[in-house]
Amino acid sequence: MTTAAISSEPGVQPRVGTPTRPKPEPGSRGSWWRFLAILVITLVVLIPIIAVVGLALQPALGSTSTSRFTLENFVTIFRATDVLTWLRNSLTVTLVTVVVSVVVAAPAGYVLSRGRGRLISGFSLVLFVIQSLPVVTAVIPLFILFAAFGLVDTLTGIMIIYVGSTMSVAIWMMAAYYDSIPVSLEEAAWMDGCSVFGGFLKVVLRNSLPGILSTAIFSFLLAWNDYLVALVFLRSNTNFVLPVGLQSFFQQNATNWGLVMAVAVMMMLPPVILFATLNKYFSVGGIGGSLAGS
Amino acid sequence: MKGRPGASPWTLFAFAVPSLVLLVLLNLYPVIYAAYQSLRDGSLISAGDFVGIENYVDVLADPEFWASARFTVIFTVVGVFGSWVVGLALAILLKTRIPGKTLFRVLLLLPWVVPVVVSATAWNWLVATPQSPFPVLAQSLGLGNVLFLANPLLAQITVCVFKVWISFPFMMMMMAAALESVDNNVYEASRVDGASRWKTLTNITLPMISRSTYISWILMTIFCVNDFTTIFLLTGGGPVNATQSLVVLAYNTVFLNFDTGPGVAVAFLMTLVLIIISVVLFRQIRKVQIL
Repeated sequence: MTTAAISSEPGVQPRVGTPTRPKPEPGSRGSWWRFLAILVITLVVLIPIIAVVGLALQPALGSTSTSRFTLENFVTIFRATDVLTWLRNSLTVTLVTVVVSVVVAAPAGYVLSRGRGRLISGFSLVLFVIQSLPVVTAVIPLFILFAAFGLVDTLTGIMIIYVGSTMSVAIWMMAAYYDSIPVSLEEAAWMDGCSVFGGFLKVVLRNSLPGILSTAIFSFLLAWNDYLVALVFLRSNTNFVLPVGLQSFFQQNATNWGLVMAVAVMMMLPPVILFATLNKYFSVGGIGGSLAGS
Repeated sequence: MKGRPGASPWTLFAFAVPSLVLLVLLNLYPVIYAAYQSLRDGSLISAGDFVGIENYVDVLADPEFWASARFTVIFTVVGVFGSWVVGLALAILLKTRIPGKTLFRVLLLLPWVVPVVVSATAWNWLVATPQSPFPVLAQSLGLGNVLFLANPLLAQITVCVFKVWISFPFMMMMMAAALESVDNNVYEASRVDGASRWKTLTNITLPMISRSTYISWILMTIFCVNDFTTIFLLTGGGPVNATQSLVVLAYNTVFLNFDTGPGVAVAFLMTLVLIIISVVLFRQIRKVQIL
């Protein structure tokens, strides 16, 4: 969709043919050595993750099962622990964070990309400084504020904080994507009588699916993986999200590694699946590029 | 950019309003309130009296602060350069023709994608107790009883290695994106000239990706200095504070000792240094751009 829209513009060269690839090295022997090297490196790097999956699939302590791999650890954690509640909490918090972050950052990124002048530079500098501040600093005053509003130990409370902490990078990522969309596209829409907001929605945003997806993946990872905010703000077992749930569970069940790792597998599956299917949309280059350009 | 009839500054401002409200409430307000709190002697539940810069003076006079600062520097330097070297090497390797490289690329991203809580749990299983695989392996290699998380130096090394393990995929992505933009003809030319691989790396590749390199260093520096979770989950700052970085010290001061003022003072001092480093590196980027 994007390429079609962009290449229909006069003056913008459509990409022809396949992107340039590195020239193949002469001889195939070299490529086999490299294959072996990368295979060994990958296996070594993945040892901890392989261990998690392996242990989760092991028969439970004192089990009568004779097979080497079983799902009984998963059955046990679903039956006997609060893990389903944590999973539901994590999903709720993450999805709300993703939606709100994208909805708020999408128009703000447009300002950063199309606006100019002192105010815009100031805005971009503020975003950069905010990004450098440690979360610990923000957590303390927010804790006092949230205590006054009864938001400590609530899912709403941590959702609000996650939206706040995704904001600056999310705006940057959207802006970086809009930079690749020619201004003449929405100018044409204005000529046709579209309002600025209408042009933004119908022309710019419609062509920004990869940008939106990478922003969404970014906020998904942040909300799904966070530990510090959840640790500080969530107190009761039924309000836990998976990271704090797993950590509390791990301390109680450190001897029963099968159960601990079953929870761990459940926790890493959503981001891994997301990445395996959508990783082409996620370019970290965008973050860096917009940072340098500001 | 050309003149745009439709988008007046005020219209654009309207686009930014929702994000500005959130930024002020959730980012600006906490910083200002924290700054105010760092000048008082209160705790999380009581505001306390105004004590001026006393908290900062106390913190700077505390040897624990300097020990934490020292470890933060070690952790950051190892984290940034370790993950950069590994990430760059893998990005270069993955740029060559290797069967199944798309799969390898996705697999190598896993340490960064998997939640930190999960990987910390896995590393704990691998190294924490005498019955864990790594200590058992060390034992059988005749290295004796190796206590990865109980010996101060070994715990520092383990935490740093863990950080490199978790961060190299990010560097790999940054560097791969940078390498994409390097023209292959340049390599062709250097090969014709008979340049060694090392010469090609130092004289061609590194200068051509220097901008992305500086940006990735800045970002990784911020990530390392502000990183609470990897250290806290693996060692909690121990043994005997050996792996306590400034963020962990700030957390412990506020949430375990209930001293809000000094805790926030630590966080602010740390942030100040961080911003100085970022600005210096940022200027460096601009210089490189001119060259």
